[in-house]
Amino acid sequence: MSLRINKLYKSRHEINLFQDFDIEIKEKTITCILGPSGCGKTTLLNMISDTVQPESGTFEGFDNKVISYIFQDPRLLPWKTVKENITFVLNGLYPKKEVEKIASTYLRLVELKEFSGFYPAALSGGMKQRVAIARAFSYPSDLILMDEPLKALDLKLKLNLMKSFRRLWQSDKRTVLFVTHDVDEALLLGNEIFVFSKPPVNIKEKFTINLKERTLNNPEITNLKNKIWEVME
Amino acid sequence: MKKVFSKKKTISVISVIMLISLWKLASFLYDSELILPSPESTVVTTVKLLFSENFLAVIGATIFRGLIGFLISFFLGISLGIWAGINQNFEAFLKPILVTIRSTPVISLILLALIWFSVDFVAIFIAFLTMFPFICTNVIDGIKNVDKDLIEMAKIYKVDHLRIIKEVYLPAITPFIFSGASSAMGFGWRAIIIGEVLSQPKFGIGTLMQTAQTYLLVNEVIAWTIIAIIISSLFELVIRKVEHAVVNWK
Repeated sequence: MSLRINKLYKSRHEINLFQDFDIEIKEKTITCILGPSGCGKTTLLNMISDTVQPESGTFEGFDNKVISYIFQDPRLLPWKTVKENITFVLNGLYPKKEVEKIASTYLRLVELKEFSGFYPAALSGGMKQRVAIARAFSYPSDLILMDEPLKALDLKLKLNLMKSFRRLWQSDKRTVLFVTHDVDEALLLGNEIFVFSKPPVNIKEKFTINLKERTLNNPEITNLKNKIWEVME
Repeated sequence: MKKVFSKKKTISVISVIMLISLWKLASFLYDSELILPSPESTVVTTVKLLFSENFLAVIGATIFRGLIGFLISFFLGISLGIWAGINQNFEAFLKPILVTIRSTPVISLILLALIWFSVDFVAIFIAFLTMFPFICTNVIDGIKNVDKDLIEMAKIYKVDHLRIIKEVYLPAITPFIFSGASSAMGFGWRAIIIGEVLSQPKFGIGTLMQTAQTYLLVNEVIAWTIIAIIISSLFELVIRKVEHAVVNWK
């Protein structure tokens, strides 16, 4: 099973981002898109989430897919508590009790249970992004889109968040499309890694990683890293 | 932090003392209770007014007019403001109306209202016309300042429109609503009293100010002014307190 985008055309600010572009995304895996800034990665996600329209192209398998989105910034509602930020996207989908239960479950999974009643202003950047991750997973989506959600965080927090993310994903395997320009992030999270070129985008190379446990000093990972660097140069 | 605050407070107190001393000095130089009564005799007059017959009816009537005008402006200002903030066509329609109301001299509105409406309604009408544009304009600005990213997030998660208005737009514009309400009140009380002076309803601070002026009771005119200032600042305080209680997430 996979999702396909065929013959995609899209330009932005007079730059042809996509010209006859094809990609195939496997379901129930984490697919990373690795590419230089400004290569249209975010635009691709926005076309998938239907917030930006392509000039032409077909999207196969995306119909009726429910989408969660984890943005660069957490995008939490400052006037809602941590828990209310999660129930905000769930209300109306389930009975009230169920909504509360789901929100609690995911807050526990991202280790923020004790902060349920806090307002976002009282949380650190990493904690906020964890709430955003919990929100994305608690939502009954088939597809999770992630747009460089770790960009603004320091290395230690990044590693931590990636660990929480993989743990969440292992227990609940959804289709994830993760966009980044950071090779390490791609190596630590992705099952499939697409390396994008500068616009107009073509896929320079595709890598597959089957390791379950990921560390940056694993020989297979370091080997891959060198290969990816070579492709990206 | 605390030290800075108390320093500011001290300076404010000094400013008030200076104002009263200037008043005292002027009244001493004029040396006529008839033209410029001294601060202390004005305080005595104020206290006398507080215990006078009908005092509660008088200030009650003025406050009632203010509140009715305020409530109409508040609800109409918020609903029309949200609509105009979201819909550009409606904003284009509403903007000239707001500008016209705001740039019309209050006195013209009162003179016309005196011809058109019953005496009791004039001050309410004036209160509404002075307060409504403040609240409405602030709400429009507030809606435009709402973080578009949050709206996009809510839309991607398929939150319905009514809940987006209730749970995203409304809380986001709350600080704007309060600052609009606070400036509206500030201008509103002044306009209401002018309205009362000219329309002479049975009860009202303006009615009695006009009477006092006719009999050259300068101390009473100033005393009513002080009472009006106190009422106005009490409402300002209430607005701040309510804002603090509502916007508890900052």
